[in-house]
Amino acid sequence: MLSYVAQRLALAVCLLLAVSALTFSGMNLLGDPLVNILGPIAADTENPKSIALIEAAEAEYHLDKSLPERYVRWLGDLVRGDLGVQFSSTGEPPVSNIIKERAPRTAVLLVMAQSLAVLISIPWALLAASRARRPADRISTVTSFLLIALPNFALAVILKYLLAIKLGWFPITYTANDPFLSRIYQTFLPALTIALPAAAVYQRLLRTDLITTLQEDFILMARAKGVSKWKVLLRHALRPSFFSFITVFGINTGALIGGSLVVETIFRIPGLGTTIVEAIIRDDFPVVLAVVMIATSVFVLVNVLVDILYSFLDPRVKR
Amino acid sequence: MSQTQASLRGGPEPLVSVRGLRTLFATERGLVRAVDGVDLNIHKGRSLGIVGESGCGKTVLSRSIMGLLPSTAHREGSVRYKGQELVGKSVGSMRRFWGQEMSMVFQNPMVSLNPVMRIGEQIAEPLRIHLGMSRSDARDTALQLLEEVRIPEPKRRLRQYAHELSGGMRQRVVIAIALSCGPAILFADEPTTALDVTVQSQILDLIAERRQDRNMAVVLVTHDLGVVAGHTDEIAVMYAGKIVERAPTNELFANVKMPYTRSLLRSIPRLDDDPHTRLHAISGRPPDLIDPPSGCRFAPRCAYAREKCHVEAPPLQPTENPDHVYACWYPVGSAEFVEREEELVATGVHVRGRQ
Amino acid sequence: MTAARRGLGFGFWLSISWLIVISLAAIFAPWLPLKDPGENYIVAGARPPYGPSSTHWLGTDQDARDVFARTIFGARTSLVIGFGAISFGIILGGTLGVLSGYFRGWTDRIASIVMLILLSFPGLILAILITALLDRGLATIAITLGILGVAPVGRLARASTLVFAERDFVTAARAIGSSNRRIIVRELLPNVVIPMAALSLLGMAIAIVAEGGLAFLGLSVDEGVTWGKLILLGAGTRDLERAPWISFGPISMLFLTVLALNYAGDRLRDYFDVKDITL
Repeated sequence: MLSYVAQRLALAVCLLLAVSALTFSGMNLLGDPLVNILGPIAADTENPKSIALIEAAEAEYHLDKSLPERYVRWLGDLVRGDLGVQFSSTGEPPVSNIIKERAPRTAVLLVMAQSLAVLISIPWALLAASRARRPADRISTVTSFLLIALPNFALAVILKYLLAIKLGWFPITYTANDPFLSRIYQTFLPALTIALPAAAVYQRLLRTDLITTLQEDFILMARAKGVSKWKVLLRHALRPSFFSFITVFGINTGALIGGSLVVETIFRIPGLGTTIVEAIIRDDFPVVLAVVMIATSVFVLVNVLVDILYSFLDPRVKR
Repeated sequence: MSQTQASLRGGPEPLVSVRGLRTLFATERGLVRAVDGVDLNIHKGRSLGIVGESGCGKTVLSRSIMGLLPSTAHREGSVRYKGQELVGKSVGSMRRFWGQEMSMVFQNPMVSLNPVMRIGEQIAEPLRIHLGMSRSDARDTALQLLEEVRIPEPKRRLRQYAHELSGGMRQRVVIAIALSCGPAILFADEPTTALDVTVQSQILDLIAERRQDRNMAVVLVTHDLGVVAGHTDEIAVMYAGKIVERAPTNELFANVKMPYTRSLLRSIPRLDDDPHTRLHAISGRPPDLIDPPSGCRFAPRCAYAREKCHVEAPPLQPTENPDHVYACWYPVGSAEFVEREEELVATGVHVRGRQ
Repeated sequence: MTAARRGLGFGFWLSISWLIVISLAAIFAPWLPLKDPGENYIVAGARPPYGPSSTHWLGTDQDARDVFARTIFGARTSLVIGFGAISFGIILGGTLGVLSGYFRGWTDRIASIVMLILLSFPGLILAILITALLDRGLATIAITLGILGVAPVGRLARASTLVFAERDFVTAARAIGSSNRRIIVRELLPNVVIPMAALSLLGMAIAIVAEGGLAFLGLSVDEGVTWGKLILLGAGTRDLERAPWISFGPISMLFLTVLALNYAGDRLRDYFDVKDITL
């Protein structure tokens, strides 16, 4: 079992290395690293102060060295937690500070979103499966189809309009300095925006698997034992049906990360999403690089965890 | 009173009495008459075998008696258990009976056991639901049950999963579950079909043993006459949704009346046959249950059928032995039967003396 | 095996009809009797935005530009991006997948690794990264979104090819000496095409939505109007309060189109019973 875990982790690390190498090379090859680091100052070769900064940057970032060497150095820094400095105001504040401040908000948003999605999708799927092919189920199918087709930004706009503006149930903006609980409350609507389409996807899959499982003989056997309908659903049918659900859950995290970028922008939450967008507009590459690495690492790690979890949950898988 | 009723009267009050049971399924192509007018008695402590080809309705019959049918099924007629009428009861009220008064053992133990639940949990479940046992009591009882069904190392098995046990052991577990709340009737639906031949007789013996110990009624549903031969007191032969012959086991084998039953008996290969003896098979296929033929349903495939058979359905009538009834106009041994048999032997279709 | 149901269904053809209508409208937009999408139709005495009326079917935006016209013109860019993206994705991904599934061995290993790496990036992140590094022209955006599709398309193409390459008619073709190229083109591709058709419909929906997402982040095409940009323009709190039609007009158009693409793609997939499509 340990070897399986080790295998998956090793694969994950390799992938992350590949990703980081690609991103790093891309950024350094497709743009002028000097510009990336110093911004407009890099072009200012007249001003002696600028020249000094340019030379300092060249020394700091080893721009005289080859790309692979620079990559290795960067990687070394990364592992030690040094994400580099945010540029343009040369050296002002290190990228890690920004990340530390903003990442938790995105994390909260995503955790809330996935939790909501799971909480919504499981009862939904159970209900749909127990009334399979009858009117309630058909309505549910149509609803989930619509939710999946609707782009998340459109859903965000609609929800914002309905729930925040028209009905006033939720606040419209996020205020970073508010107390923790009210910030959670403010995060609810954005999380719901992400959660609803995800719930629809999970529900669809779970429902299909539930219906398949319900045809199995052991379900009939459970009924023949006198187990009530709901107990059959919950205790017998749910567990074997979970597996596609879990796999999709992991894969979907990637989509959710992307979705959170958009949602953060719409609801003005200062998280990693807004960070990377601002950074791109300012051509602030260390920040972009850092956010890409974090997002990708989280994605890869979640998938590895899901794989490992899968092997624990299914007693039929030989570990 | 009709002759059928007279024959059914024999003996003490039956545990279950089935009268005119019909089970219909609504499908796109029409109404499938899976069980089409069955009368039966099930007696306490005795074993009844229900035999027939695939598709004759025997599985549906056992489930119809128990009431374990999907919502597309519709039952008519009467099933009385200890005096109570079961047809018409809601699923909610039937739940009391399932597992407690009546239990069922299914064909394929690999798929009758929940693959992701431990064995112990699955055995304990009905105990906790019906008998309200605590977790530890249920576990102890489960242990006892595993011992009762002769599973080695029962303590270890409790924590195992279905796929860790062999086919025979799994079926024993299924039987243990069925027996757990002390039911009055055990329905065994093709309990050995999915098992190795060597294991088959073990399981059948186990069922017989448990039946005696607990004075439980057993209904054995199977297509395999070999299975019922040694393990039943009475056999009912089904064809196309109806019972076509019913008799105590020994009587049936000794004095078969209905040609269909006779064919079934003859299709069992025998150890003392010559080598390369051709297997006897019944030609043709069972009829469509949506639109069954008028007259005797076996007539289209029966080598001994005459005109009357195609037109009028024979009723169940008794032989000299009132417990033995059959439905045939020209049964084995009758003049017409013998006449036809001569013709068939003369043309080489049948081999003389195979009985 | 489920028998193919009677036809693809009314919904399918309805979806296809809508797609044809919207495509035609987009292509012929400059010649259609629409209001000028750039012009400000200010009415003296009333401050824009104006609500829906008989002159402005979907109302106007804050600068008194006709929403309906802008939405139709937005369709041009959005549909082109969607189409371009999926074309790129299918050509590149499909080729990779088919070659990988047919030749196996090292080709397969390398292609699989490439796809695996691509799949490790959360979707939008990859798109953002590439557009950050390159410019934001129409072609770049389309190709970037196409790259997002290379891995899923490649995976499907590979799976389909693997299935078909085992079959007898391929062995038969080899037995009579057909070259690999012939086999791929004449025997395999026709069978792989159907799952790809379903995938392209679904993929186009995803590309259009992805573009909308990029627009919302301010990272879509620099020039021109797209649905995403239009929706963004009307998504401010005040605008939603006073003039929801600015957003909801393009939202409806986008939603209907994406719905049609999704439904048609789903039906195609069900009808031909393809199992491996996961996007």
